Amino acid sequence: MVSLLKMPEILPRELPRQSDPAAPEEATKTMMIDVCDLDFNYGEHRVLHDVSLQMQSRAVTAFIGPSGCGKTTLLRCINRMNDLIENAHITGGAIHLDGTDINAPDLDVVDLRRRVGMVFQKSNPFPKSIYENISYGLRIAGVTKRSRIDEAVEKSLRAAALWDEVKDRLEKNALGLSGGQQQRLCIARALAVEPEVVLMDEPCSALDPIATAKIEELIHQLRTQYTIVIVTHNMQQAGRVSDYTGFFYLGRLIEFGSTTKIFTNPGQKQTEDYITGRFG
Amino acid sequence: MIAPKHILGTFDEALASLRNNVLMMAGLTERSLDRAMKGLFQRDDNLCATAIADDEEIDQLEKQIDKDGVDILLRFQPVASDLRRVVSAMKLSSNLERMADQATNIARRARKLNHHPPLPEMELIVPMHEQAISMFKDSIDAYVREDVELGRAIVPRDEKLDELNRVASRRLIQRMAEDPDQLRGYLNLMFIGRHLERVGDHATNIAEDAVYAAAAEDIRHQPFVGAT
Repeated sequence: MVSLLKMPEILPRELPRQSDPAAPEEATKTMMIDVCDLDFNYGEHRVLHDVSLQMQSRAVTAFIGPSGCGKTTLLRCINRMNDLIENAHITGGAIHLDGTDINAPDLDVVDLRRRVGMVFQKSNPFPKSIYENISYGLRIAGVTKRSRIDEAVEKSLRAAALWDEVKDRLEKNALGLSGGQQQRLCIARALAVEPEVVLMDEPCSALDPIATAKIEELIHQLRTQYTIVIVTHNMQQAGRVSDYTGFFYLGRLIEFGSTTKIFTNPGQKQTEDYITGRFG
Repeated sequence: MIAPKHILGTFDEALASLRNNVLMMAGLTERSLDRAMKGLFQRDDNLCATAIADDEEIDQLEKQIDKDGVDILLRFQPVASDLRRVVSAMKLSSNLERMADQATNIARRARKLNHHPPLPEMELIVPMHEQAISMFKDSIDAYVREDVELGRAIVPRDEKLDELNRVASRRLIQRMAEDPDQLRGYLNLMFIGRHLERVGDHATNIAEDAVYAAAAEDIRHQPFVGAT
């Protein structure tokens, strides 16, 4: 029997570093989205109270909490989708994206929504071909050269792990795809305009387990290039895909920290009670 | 403070069952150690045989606890304190099973010693026994009551037990040289000392797991700061 000590290809060259559950995996991350003392109302009804947190670039941040806690409202604040709702408005505080106040009067909201893409719970591909779903955003942005569009379509479909499945039928209607494929198409559509941030509002809640796993694997691959914020009701999913987790309750941020810490040793009793299923 | 109940009643029941099995296993292990040591001190072969027979039931409990622990992880995907308690219960059962093995080893050695005239050096084992048993009881107490300070305090006590074992071993080696006719007896006593020292090690492991379960602190492999 050969001694393991004589088989260097088996033994690691270095001892594994002891991980610090409180620190992010890579020390070089910078702050991308800064939410500071945010209050938000639907009419007279306050739904977000004094929310402050910072989301790191090229990391995945998850928002968890019971229904009605304000996590989707906060998500929609980041790309000002709430502007489309009558009487919905920020009543205090600010959100900065890479140092820029996104609610500044002179801010180009269309450009904001290009930089901050969004994927919704119910996939919503356009009733067009797969190719046209991806190319639409590029054409709106003024890209006209066919070769450039072709290249961007392939690149974004590859980035969404969908290219191999649809490359031979790009002209087919996107509504003919399965639910999981449609959701990946929506992700590809968001990626085509080269965003910096991708917001995901319960992207897997309508999908089967295999499609869910494919989306989660995709999130894992995308996190090295994009800042991702995901709202999820599935705490196990938050544990699997995210680097940081924020727990919300009744419009307040109760606790925010590294996902490992939140799920192994949360600091707040409310957080512990929620994630262990003692209330909610 | 009693934690509020889970919304899923079956989750609470599963955790309670796991905890009860751990406590039962701890009780049986304590009894086994007690029988083995009484079999030694009172030169009672029947007690030794009973201690050896006890091991089967304890082994089965270890398997049941591991099975139930994996089942809880699979079904309920616990997090935070629930996860720590399940993982610690499974680790505890492993340490208790090894302690019970030490009790079996002590009982086998005691049976051999019982067939020879009593040795005065048996007195060397008494303080070691007391130290090991008190560490064991306190480690289980720390786990049951989630007493972090009690758990931390057990770790330095293991150094004292190790020192008692070193002193006893040196004395027994000296006696082997002085009285080689009793060499087998002294060797058996040395092994018993070693088994008790291992009981202390397992009690230390249980204490460390108790601290982890209660406070999410990993106090293993830290520099020794002083025995008490």
